[in-house]
Amino acid sequence: MTAPVLGRVVATERRPNTPHEFHFWTALDAPVGVGTIVRVESTRPVNGVLPCVYGVVTEGFGYTDLQTPLHDVLGADGEPGASATAPTERTEIRLYTAAVLRQVPEEPLQPVPMGTVHLATEADVQAALRMDTYVQGSDARGIPVGAYRSGGTDAAVHLDADFLLGPEAAHLAISGVSGLATKTSAVQWLLASIFTHLPARKGKVAAVCFNVKGPDLCFIDRPATRLDPADRALYDALGVPADPFARVRYFAPWHARGTHLATLRTHDALAESVTPLTWGLRETLQYAEVLLSREDIDAKADALIDFIKERVVDQRFEDKLLDGAHEVRSFADLERWFRELLQAMEAGNQEQWRTHHIATIRKVRNRLGNISTRCKGLVTDDGTVSDLPFGAFEDRAVYVVDVAQLEEDAQDLVFARIISQLREHLEKRALGVEQVVVFVDELNKYAPSDGADTYVRQMLLDIAERGRYLGLVLFGAQQFRSQVHRRVVGNSGTQLFGRMDADELATPGYQTLAPATKARLATLEKGQLMVRHPHFGQPIFVRFPRPAVLTGREGVEQFPPAEVPTLEMAVAKTLRRLDPSITVGQVQDVLALAGDDEEAILRARNVTLLKRPDNVLAFFSKQLKKRVAPEVVGGRGPAPLRVPASGDDYGG
Amino acid sequence: MRAAIRALRAAGVGVGAAGAPLELRTTVDDAAPRVEPVTPLEGDRLAVRAVPGVPAPGIRAFLDGIQRSQVLAHVGAVPLVHGAVAAAVRVRKARRMRTWGEARRREALVLPVAALDAALTATLAGAVPLVDTTAGEPAPPSGHPQDLAARALTAVQRMREAEELALVAAWVADGDGPLLVDGGISGSPEGARAESVIGVVKSHRTLYAAPSELPLVLGLREGERTTAVALHSPRRNPVASWYLRLRDPGERSPLFGLVRVEVAPTGDLTARADAVSRWVLAERAPVALPDPRWDVMVYGIRECEEYLTAILPR
Repeated sequence: MTAPVLGRVVATERRPNTPHEFHFWTALDAPVGVGTIVRVESTRPVNGVLPCVYGVVTEGFGYTDLQTPLHDVLGADGEPGASATAPTERTEIRLYTAAVLRQVPEEPLQPVPMGTVHLATEADVQAALRMDTYVQGSDARGIPVGAYRSGGTDAAVHLDADFLLGPEAAHLAISGVSGLATKTSAVQWLLASIFTHLPARKGKVAAVCFNVKGPDLCFIDRPATRLDPADRALYDALGVPADPFARVRYFAPWHARGTHLATLRTHDALAESVTPLTWGLRETLQYAEVLLSREDIDAKADALIDFIKERVVDQRFEDKLLDGAHEVRSFADLERWFRELLQAMEAGNQEQWRTHHIATIRKVRNRLGNISTRCKGLVTDDGTVSDLPFGAFEDRAVYVVDVAQLEEDAQDLVFARIISQLREHLEKRALGVEQVVVFVDELNKYAPSDGADTYVRQMLLDIAERGRYLGLVLFGAQQFRSQVHRRVVGNSGTQLFGRMDADELATPGYQTLAPATKARLATLEKGQLMVRHPHFGQPIFVRFPRPAVLTGREGVEQFPPAEVPTLEMAVAKTLRRLDPSITVGQVQDVLALAGDDEEAILRARNVTLLKRPDNVLAFFSKQLKKRVAPEVVGGRGPAPLRVPASGDDYGG
Repeated sequence: MRAAIRALRAAGVGVGAAGAPLELRTTVDDAAPRVEPVTPLEGDRLAVRAVPGVPAPGIRAFLDGIQRSQVLAHVGAVPLVHGAVAAAVRVRKARRMRTWGEARRREALVLPVAALDAALTATLAGAVPLVDTTAGEPAPPSGHPQDLAARALTAVQRMREAEELALVAAWVADGDGPLLVDGGISGSPEGARAESVIGVVKSHRTLYAAPSELPLVLGLREGERTTAVALHSPRRNPVASWYLRLRDPGERSPLFGLVRVEVAPTGDLTARADAVSRWVLAERAPVALPDPRWDVMVYGIRECEEYLTAILPR
């Protein structure tokens, strides 16, 4: 059914129509505004075909036949109220400018013809956004991103999975001011949509989300407390169940004190679902350059670190200067190795050891020894490793890594190592899933447009430029898009915008937007987004439902974090995950025999947690009686060294 | 105009670029300004009267017509003129204007048939409507190109007046409420008799007052009117008329803001003149700027003109 005529195309010499832009006027009460999609019907065939043009309104003008405001003043004798009582209202126009989304036929590409303008129907929206090529048929791969709503038309807007998750394009950048819950909510919604709609033939998909502030992502496995009928209707219309994520695994490092995990998801009812994230020497040394500044570590120190990584760690090391063999598997081992080496050099008044000067050795000892202190809770002295299940990632699962309470250095280390591990496993097709979405909030902090060229930024650039071939997809969120490295933003095939700051909109990155579009962006409501996608000729405004998960704020109200426990309580709580019958009293008895070596107690707890023995208390007690040896989850071999970021690791 | 140009080319007449409209090049009414004494209808002599009460909208519709004449070609010294006219009634509803029924439009090739080759006029007549500028004229054209152009312009003016008169007649028959006509109504037999038609004249080449009464007319202050007088003319219908000052002239011309209102000379003329004056005074807003005649033009007429400009055949 043809939609009623909304307006008429107009063109003047001063304001002509082009193949990319046209103008039309409407009745004063027409249901049209910035963002409305319209269809132009021409009556003049070209090559025997009547052209049909789809456009989106980018600007609106309203004016009367008044030549200057002064004339109105004169007419009203300077009395503002008098104008309203005039018997006739001045002739007034609503003139709109629309950017062309699509012309059918596509060739010859001509200026938009004169014709009638109609509100787009649902089918028109599909055609205008070229969704007809990927939403239907045997190769359907549309991922709903939201609903287009204007003038009574409701239409689902889909992204092309091949352009969202690869291989054609990939990555998503979402920008918006803080405090409106748009960025995190939109990503949660979009992940739910991907998990629901990504066709099975496209392979398995998982998500790794870094929780960088507060409790943002700490309760995404819990249902939302308030999901109004409008949200539910949107879920229905977009074909996504209004449910929380079914498979979520949480990871958090220990608090520096070691008694509890550094996360806000510590409520007794939920604490068991958080797995400790701890790394030892090998895992940390591999990414040492993340933590060591270039100014601090010169070429000589670099050479020594490389020597230690390749010749000392995780192997039997002998040297005539040292008493016996060393097996360095933890920071404690490394410290012993350094101490013995330096003592021997000093005793022999020796300045060089294997080409390394004693000053360099002292410096490297100092810097590496610092790491376990700076990243305490994440990096363990004893080498205990508890990591994400690389190799056993599950389909449609979300892995939340809570780094909100970590220092900046430690956060960088977590990003670097996890993303590198994901990449390495995806390269070998051995992650467990074929595609991983990595969600990083505050991307402007990790991949800034200016400042030092850090390891993390290089790594994010690398993903942005080559990750799509691997299935490693970056979903980055930031308040200010202009402050994110342009290669990261530029490689994001899909871009979402929530409400934007006016100053940000004044930056060059937004020059292509019409003033009215910018004005709308500056006043977007919660739940509204502007979407840029390779198939869409122009940005489109959509509405998305509130995530069907518990928000961070509500989560901490509903599940307030547990009090900081005593050592006994902390151990008992942890061990209860394995054996719920264990009491605080039993733990107190065991600890009474162990003395007050708190670090030894926590080491014993960590090993027990990793080993998951049948008799938990007995195993824990046994661990206290001996020095805890470094343990590695899964007994994996050494991880490969990182390939330089400058190389093209993916063969183009 | 395209049809006329095609017809001329088909007839072998060279068509040059259309120049400025004749309306801008020729003075139609070149008679000298004059003063004409009239018969009072209110009282026994012309007097000044302040319009009582508060100006209030009462006009329901506005009628205006426009014309455009352009010389398309010359055959010898004879200009061949394309004339286009349009007229419309714009009805006000909820403070917005809409066209009442259909606007009237007409275009023709305006020429002196007698001065042209019969075969040429026959050929042109087969393609476009022709209007003969010599038909019904007592004197034959002088052959002076400007005289011929002036006659063409007069013919186009008559075309426009005919369309306007047709609309006045239609409104009297079917319209609802007072109609304000741009110009006099004495040319319309129906309009000059109908209570629903009001003419507002903006130009004053003839001032209807005795020379001794002129200071009284020109000295009207804003919101004042003269008493009504009777206007008679051999070729026109009798109407009642009075002067009304819409805006204070201050230091400007004494004709600034001065209009002459025409109505059918029926009923209680004082009450009717006061009521109509209040209606016209109410139409001062919105101001008709940027039209140069804004001091005497009501907005409804300007709006009608804008509408007609948009639809005038080109």
